[in-house]
Amino acid sequence: MIISYCKKLKYRKKIVLVTNGLGAADTEEVDQIAGKIKEENIDLVILGVDFDDPEFGFKEEDKEPQKAENEGVLRDLVEGCDGAYGTLEQAVSEMDIPRIKQVRPVPTFKGFLQLGNPEEYDTAARIPVERYFRTYPARPPPASSFALRSDIPPRGDEAESSGTVAPDGDVTGEGGPLTTVRHLRSYQISDESAPGGKRDVDREELAKGYEYGRTAVHISETDQNITTLETFAALELVGFIQSDQYDRYLHMSNASIIIAQRANDKAALALSSFIHALFELDCYAVARLVAKENKPPLMVLLAPSIEPDYECLLEVQLPFAEDVRTYRFPPLDKVVTVSGKVVTEHRNLPNDELCDAMSKYVDSMELVDKDENESVIREPIEALPIDESFSPVLHRIDSAIRYRAVHPNDPVPPASERLTKFSQPSEEVVKKSKKCLEKLKSAADVKKVPPKEKGRKRNREAEKPLSGLDVEALLHQEKRTKISPNNAIPEFKQSLSHAENIETINDAVKQMTVIIEDQIRHSLGDANYDRVVEGLGVMREELISYEEPASYNDFMRLLKEKLLREELGGDRRELWWLIRRSKLGLIDKTQSDRSEVTEEEAKKVGWFIPRLKMCADCFSSCPQSNFKKPL
Amino acid sequence: MADDAPRGDDSFEGEEEIDETGYKSVKDAVLFAIDVSDSMLTPRPSSDPKKSVKESPASAALKSAYHLMQQRIISNPRDMIGVLLYGTQDSKFYNEDENSRGDLSYPHCYLFTDLDVPSADEVKGLRALAEDEGESRDILVPSKEPVSMANVLFCANQIFTSKAPNFTSRRLFIVTDNDNPHGENKSLRSAATVRAKDLYDLGVVIELFPISRPEYEFDTSKFYDDIIYKATPTDPDAPAYFQSERKVSTATGDGISLLNSLLSSVNSKSVPRRALFSNVTLELGPEFKISVNGYLLFKRQEPARSCYVWLGGEKPQIAKGVTTLTADDTARAVEKGEIRKAYKFGDEQISFTPEEQQSLRNFGDPVIRIIGFKPITALPFWANLKHPTFIYPSEETYIGSTRVFSALHQKLFKDSKMALVWFIARKNAAPVLAAMIAGPEKTDDQGTQKFPPGMWILPLPFADDVRQNPETSLNVAPEPLIDRMREVVQQLQLPKAVYDPTKYPNPSLQWHYRILQALALDEDLPEQPEDKTVPKYRQIDKRAGEYVLAWSDELESQYNKISAEAPKTSTLAKRGPRDRAAEEGASKPAKRVKAEAGFGGVEDEVRLQYEKGAISKLTLLVLKEFLVSHGRSTAGKKADLVERVEEFFEQK
Repeated sequence: MIISYCKKLKYRKKIVLVTNGLGAADTEEVDQIAGKIKEENIDLVILGVDFDDPEFGFKEEDKEPQKAENEGVLRDLVEGCDGAYGTLEQAVSEMDIPRIKQVRPVPTFKGFLQLGNPEEYDTAARIPVERYFRTYPARPPPASSFALRSDIPPRGDEAESSGTVAPDGDVTGEGGPLTTVRHLRSYQISDESAPGGKRDVDREELAKGYEYGRTAVHISETDQNITTLETFAALELVGFIQSDQYDRYLHMSNASIIIAQRANDKAALALSSFIHALFELDCYAVARLVAKENKPPLMVLLAPSIEPDYECLLEVQLPFAEDVRTYRFPPLDKVVTVSGKVVTEHRNLPNDELCDAMSKYVDSMELVDKDENESVIREPIEALPIDESFSPVLHRIDSAIRYRAVHPNDPVPPASERLTKFSQPSEEVVKKSKKCLEKLKSAADVKKVPPKEKGRKRNREAEKPLSGLDVEALLHQEKRTKISPNNAIPEFKQSLSHAENIETINDAVKQMTVIIEDQIRHSLGDANYDRVVEGLGVMREELISYEEPASYNDFMRLLKEKLLREELGGDRRELWWLIRRSKLGLIDKTQSDRSEVTEEEAKKVGWFIPRLKMCADCFSSCPQSNFKKPL
Repeated sequence: MADDAPRGDDSFEGEEEIDETGYKSVKDAVLFAIDVSDSMLTPRPSSDPKKSVKESPASAALKSAYHLMQQRIISNPRDMIGVLLYGTQDSKFYNEDENSRGDLSYPHCYLFTDLDVPSADEVKGLRALAEDEGESRDILVPSKEPVSMANVLFCANQIFTSKAPNFTSRRLFIVTDNDNPHGENKSLRSAATVRAKDLYDLGVVIELFPISRPEYEFDTSKFYDDIIYKATPTDPDAPAYFQSERKVSTATGDGISLLNSLLSSVNSKSVPRRALFSNVTLELGPEFKISVNGYLLFKRQEPARSCYVWLGGEKPQIAKGVTTLTADDTARAVEKGEIRKAYKFGDEQISFTPEEQQSLRNFGDPVIRIIGFKPITALPFWANLKHPTFIYPSEETYIGSTRVFSALHQKLFKDSKMALVWFIARKNAAPVLAAMIAGPEKTDDQGTQKFPPGMWILPLPFADDVRQNPETSLNVAPEPLIDRMREVVQQLQLPKAVYDPTKYPNPSLQWHYRILQALALDEDLPEQPEDKTVPKYRQIDKRAGEYVLAWSDELESQYNKISAEAPKTSTLAKRGPRDRAAEEGASKPAKRVKAEAGFGGVEDEVRLQYEKGAISKLTLLVLKEFLVSHGRSTAGKKADLVERVEEFFEQK
């Protein structure tokens, strides 16, 4: 069957025969079968129930003679065609080890490693090479989108309507049959005369283009490639660097390998001399790679890799100037004060005791590879456990799919332990380093910031300018009593910081409320929404830090009601959605001790506005209603 | 149209910067406030002997604003920039100018470019002003009476409030050479300090670009120390770092060329710091935790994706794509919440509820957990998947984090060790096993920080991500050949034997925007791209040429030796004639390309046919080989290849 189905194509052919070996078998043609299997290049795996397997350490006592005979025959068959043979037990126990999908190596570049420009200089050299991935992120299987069927149509047209859903409607999950989801794309432009300020345009009316700042630059059909840099495929050497000067964190990509063109001994020889030269000089090469004509050039780093039976160049991509962000951070080994003084003893700097404790702890946590067989002399292995680490998400999803396929109605089992093996230090290491850790802890004296203080204004002295001038006093002179709408946020903050009693705070909140509501009322479409959100955000933050969450929560409830009643300039549902997305809902207990609102409650208030306008009224009458947004 | 459909499935895998700041949008707005005064407009000689042109500080400032604007269109296309001139005779603020009725709100403040994502016209306008063309002369006229700094600051306040509400970063760049605008006038001074406090409370950071006058050093203590605050309210951890930078820029007036130093100083301040994640736990051991913030210091910049432009109106307009989801059965619109994800398993679709789907990806709260230490040599060169994440301690959740982090940093750096960590960057992010290494602070010649001190997290590949090496034959080069190559390598060290990313701008990115800019600003299209990644061929020839030839000869003789020893039949007999032809061509890989036969065999053959006008007579194989050897694509039919070969010769 395999032969007629796969023909001579490049399938990997595999027969797995599972048997209990109790039936009588015709053993005459075993040799021929073995021959055929070998000829067709088929992998044969025979799994027997309770078959003897010395490698796995299994032997069935009191075996029936018929079975014993069959086992012998099958073993011969397997041996005759280089197959695998084992007991079912072994197969079952191996199920837990995640399977790694092997990918056939495909070259990502075939061309020349060049030194100099052969078109111009006679001294240029080139070696034909090929490039393959060394690492490449394996992705979990892709999921496709479905929606629940709104009505279950008759069987007949279901198969027609979507080929992807199993014809018998047996799409599992407790949701029942699904239907595929289509993406419909339409294009809109802003047009002030149109309702809502936007109107649809036809795909045919559109041309390709790019944004340059705020301006649309259109590019005509004939100039399609005008912005593409013209390049030619090559791997060109730019220069060499010292490997010990290289910072490993400059690695920007997955790794590839470069080998000489296959079946070209001369190229292999030439490349080998290059690899060895780099190795002997402790150098890496910097090169410019264009994998295909007109593809963007990449800067890559080439490192030599020499193993007893394999030589190649390893390659990773390097950052360009644009890829580097210059964020600055103060030094970790000293503190520079504002006045420019260098301090070496500071609460942010470790003292000798801490450094010493850290050093001992790090040494005690050293991962040593176990060398079980000491008679064999091995190089000290310093390898990382890459071989034993499996992508948790990928295998989790994989196994969940398999499980769900077989048990459609059961909950998905938790992740296998093998996947989270490296999520915690091993018990052994923990035990070994326990003492050092205790010492380190006491030397470090780390304290958790009490949750209450997290939102509080951290250091008041930061609010003074560099000169240390007391601006507060000046503000007092100015006598700002009323918050002006055009400078609302600063003045709101300032009046809170002057507040001596709760009345002042309440008054400030009240003024802010009016300002924000005005902004909403006068907002043309969504014009003021960002300002509103900023105002709300500031109020929320400030009132949390002044421990007055209730004033914010009261205000919020009222605002929501007004929005629902469309009292603030019509339909403002979009604003509410924005507020929700910006996480500006009620302040709950986790955010402020003083809040009386539970997390649940805050969530409910967030979900207030029903998608349909239907019961805006019923809401305003019962703001605490349990209405949840339908999913 | 599949190319512009949103990629839904990958979305929660995406490693993009996630908005961490809650209600704020992660954008940056920069407003230049440039002082226009007689002394700012007076051209000064540049000390750079190469430039004999005199330039005024004001024009230098405008130029750097112009360059920054251009640069940010590329690097931060969503960020805003504006230019406010103050001290000008004329005034302009939105709808107000001298001709409007009533009092001016901000006299002698001229909002030249409104704070917004720049448009092509604005870029053009600013360029004209910087180059002092046409009408711009009328704008850059200093006023007779002094301008009130309080007014300037409040003007900036209003611009930020209305144009850039809710931005995570809002900055006012003040460029001036006047260190004491109000002298001893107390009331003006205090008005300005109050307005500065307003800006501080609004979350606007003032950055000063002081310019010293000839013979006179700018003194910040006279006025500006009352205006500028140490820490930014949005980033309480920001260090008092502008100290050293300021020293650099003070030197401008009388030392280095004005424009350059101002520009580089602006450049280094042009990126606001954005955290990738904040206050994530770094767990050193059971029950021993500190908190850190994470940053992306390397991120591949890609050209912006193309969009659709509507040409039906007066001005080209960008059409916004809107995707609606519809159910296939009834064509009704489907809300996001209704979507189920399903996987193909054999012929069936296996579906999960959204909650299940989420839980499958959930491996616990964000954490960086150390599970042990190793010597750094244990980290293979190839064990890499993507760019690293930089972490720096934060005192916000655990007091004492910084000193512990510092102790760990020192230890790892001193002993060249790495920590093996289990790393979950965000909620529901896929966990990875990663190497954590200590990076020291790196500075350039002027002492400006290039790479900050901190720890780098390098995600390691899982077993699933490791590909097998393809089979190949091993041909170890003999010593003499290696010796020759070593000489070549030694000739071609990069400066300081290091890779400096700042020296290599991305040529295709630059070209893309260079062309867009030319189209948008009606400039002439540039003919030749500037590509700094192209090797310096002339130098290579000069420095290493003869060594390459020596190596090449050695290779020839070594190869002849080997092929004489090897039984010829074994390698060649198996291959068909096709392969042999390829071998023939490729086997002279490293030769004086023009002079040498062999490789040149194809070369000459093709050239000969080209001169005869008979390229199409050549076989597909020869054509392909010729194209490959010149880095050209070999896709398409024979006619395409012939065309490409002809093109190649025509260009010569």
